[in-house]
Amino acid sequence: MEVTIIVLVLSVMVVGLAALVVLQSRQLRQERHKQAAASPPPQRVAQTVIPEPTVAELQAKLTAVYEREINKSGETFAADLRGTSAKLSEQVTRLTTKVIEEELEAYQKTLEEVRQVATGAMNQIREAVEHQRIELRQGMEQELATERQHLADKFDAKMGDVIASYISESLGSGVDLGAQMQFILTSLESHKSEIRKDLLDGV
Amino acid sequence: MAFELPPAVYSAQLLESVIYDLEQYLEWHRQSSVKQKVGAKPAAEPSHSAETAQVIKIYLQGQVATVAALEALLGELKAVSLPEVHITLAALPNHAQREALVAWFRANITPHILITFVADRNLGGGVVVRTPNHVFDFTWKQQLLAGRSHIAEIVKRV
Repeated sequence: MEVTIIVLVLSVMVVGLAALVVLQSRQLRQERHKQAAASPPPQRVAQTVIPEPTVAELQAKLTAVYEREINKSGETFAADLRGTSAKLSEQVTRLTTKVIEEELEAYQKTLEEVRQVATGAMNQIREAVEHQRIELRQGMEQELATERQHLADKFDAKMGDVIASYISESLGSGVDLGAQMQFILTSLESHKSEIRKDLLDGV
Repeated sequence: MAFELPPAVYSAQLLESVIYDLEQYLEWHRQSSVKQKVGAKPAAEPSHSAETAQVIKIYLQGQVATVAALEALLGELKAVSLPEVHITLAALPNHAQREALVAWFRANITPHILITFVADRNLGGGVVVRTPNHVFDFTWKQQLLAGRSHIAEIVKRV
């Protein structure tokens, strides 16, 4: 923005100088015409006759001086303009470089801050994911162990049922109460008090 | 109850049978008395079971059997409420086994107890004692099932 304003001001100055040159050139021509118009007509009495060649020579010299002055002014102006342009270019370059450097620096700073924030967020996410992973793994391992134990218990119980049923059914066809009497009486004896209590409390 | 039932009368059904015999006899006696009074020929004396005879013998304790005594016995038997236990075995016990079990219950629990025997071959072995409020399962099957956790340990050791 600042650079644009400077360029605009310099351009206005250049245009102004050019306009000034054109104006001066016009004024010089007008002065020459005025002088030519104001010069009194040659008097016959004291008329000094200037030879034509002299007039032409003076005319040529005047023209040459005038053109030299014009060229000199133009060269001076061109030199000033070149200098100004060079300075302007240098200034623009310097300002542009400075602005770009500042912008780049600010951009890098912002970028660094964003990078730090992003890195922090990424680290937090990574930690959270790691924590979650560990928890999930522990939970799954525990669940797996529980399930394994449950299956093992179920298998043991089932196997016990199978074996017990097999033995029970195998014995079912060949019952010998006589051989069992001792076991039966021993079982009754060991629970005598419970049976007595239950029967006599109910009476 | 003032007297103990003989081992042969161990169940509620047998006790009912004894009561039935006594009722039949007393009814026959009444009818016979009436028939005697009117000069009619009385019916034949009803038979009774050996268990009934044993009960009467124990009740009378050597005294002479009278109608009044039998009526008193009948009244006592009908009024009494004895504890009852159901015993389930893998097979029905024979006479000796039944006597042994009845003797054990009457000696160790109470002399006045009635026992019902039930057979269930699925038990394999052992006994189930069912009282009014509880079931005591001393069967082999129950013991095998209770100790099934040991089966896995035994299998692992083998």
